[in-house]
Amino acid sequence: MNFSMHLRLFLRSFFLQTGWNFAKYQNVGLTFIMLPFLRRLYKQDKEELPAVITRYLDSFNTQPVMASFCIGALAKKEENIAKAKSVTIFKEQLAEWTAARRGLSITAASIGDRLFWGTLKPLTLLLAIFIWMILGVNFFEIELLENPLVFDALCACGAAFFIYNTIALFVKWQGISIAYNSDEKTCFGLTKFDWNKTIYYAKHIGLILTAGLIIFGVYHYFKNIELNLYFMTRAVVVLFFIMLSFLTRKLKIPNMYLYIAAVIIFNLACYL
Amino acid sequence: MTAAVILLCILAALLELDTTYVGQLTFSRPIIAGPIFGLITGDLMAGIQVGVFTELLFVDISPLGGIIPPSGVMCSAIALILYSLGIELYFGFFLGVVAGIIYGHLDKWMRKARFKRMVFLEKNAAQNPNAFSRTVIMLIVSAFLLNLIFISVCAWICTQLMYNLVAYIPLKAYAAFKFAYMAVPWIGLATLIPAFRLKTR
Repeated sequence: MNFSMHLRLFLRSFFLQTGWNFAKYQNVGLTFIMLPFLRRLYKQDKEELPAVITRYLDSFNTQPVMASFCIGALAKKEENIAKAKSVTIFKEQLAEWTAARRGLSITAASIGDRLFWGTLKPLTLLLAIFIWMILGVNFFEIELLENPLVFDALCACGAAFFIYNTIALFVKWQGISIAYNSDEKTCFGLTKFDWNKTIYYAKHIGLILTAGLIIFGVYHYFKNIELNLYFMTRAVVVLFFIMLSFLTRKLKIPNMYLYIAAVIIFNLACYL
Repeated sequence: MTAAVILLCILAALLELDTTYVGQLTFSRPIIAGPIFGLITGDLMAGIQVGVFTELLFVDISPLGGIIPPSGVMCSAIALILYSLGIELYFGFFLGVVAGIIYGHLDKWMRKARFKRMVFLEKNAAQNPNAFSRTVIMLIVSAFLLNLIFISVCAWICTQLMYNLVAYIPLKAYAAFKFAYMAVPWIGLATLIPAFRLKTR
């Protein structure tokens, strides 16, 4: 695969989810990404192209960043199909293409969901909160302070944006070429990275940052301790919601419903 | 509506596209979108606070498989529009969360409805591959327009609702909404501990 095609697949991969639907998920996006590659591959055999496109329109769903591995692997497998000299080889290659499409999309989604949605996203959120807190923004007080300098304010979200996207774009770009140049033995290059170790260390950092934030919050509340009604109310609110949040997590109730419940509970409490 | 509010609605409609339709470059994350909205409305601090609170509140819902999370962009935008029009931030945030949840359901309905159009496209696309580029452009434009209509209507309804209700809201309700708003970072942080828990290596 030359640089120009690599770049086209990479740029088109940002449209993977454009036609997301509940029946075939990212099928339109995947076909849109692969179209320039397929056009070049079947340049001499244009009558074959509609049947190939129909194959790509079957259901497909994976994590958007890790989809690059599927794109690279499918491109390689498609080349093998196009080069098949006999019907038997064609059928074999087609079966391999189908297996790669199904198997790799599930594996890539599993890794991507854990790494990008489950770890990197909350980790960069915590990083941004920490930077803002170092710059003097306290999220444990809801009274708004004076506006910070624009540069100071934007450097925290900029850091979160930069770190997340550096990793995501690196995986996206490299995934295409790694999968294209690998085979089933290395799970199309997925085994070249130690995903579990990366997730393990990232989660460790996340846990330390979360604990640090909670400790800071508790210290902030207790540093000028005055046992008045306002302090007691705040302490009860904090403890009540930490306990309730653990409980709702176990019951798989989303946070947003807990917040709405909080609004209702506090309104009732104020009137009783 | 002021020029800032109109600009914010257009920007929110554009940033919402980043969630699914184009890019997924995290422009639609509330911690990115919130401060940008804050810059537009002239209160950067409110933008940062709303952005962080929104992200902490929605951090436990990820777009895994067919799950569609509520819209953090819509939540931040509505909260900051109302705040820029003089409504307390904790009331705006509550209405923003409701708008974000409604948008999530609307998006779900759109994706279900889209399949009928996709069947028609599939029939023609195999014969005419150029139809794909047209379809992708059409989907992006229609999603942008839908976002713009949604946020504009939501902002108008919420503003009218608050302007008409504000005189009748008792002081106790202010305290209740304020305490609930104050609990948001704790709700979010308490969720993050199990999220980072190391089950296996």
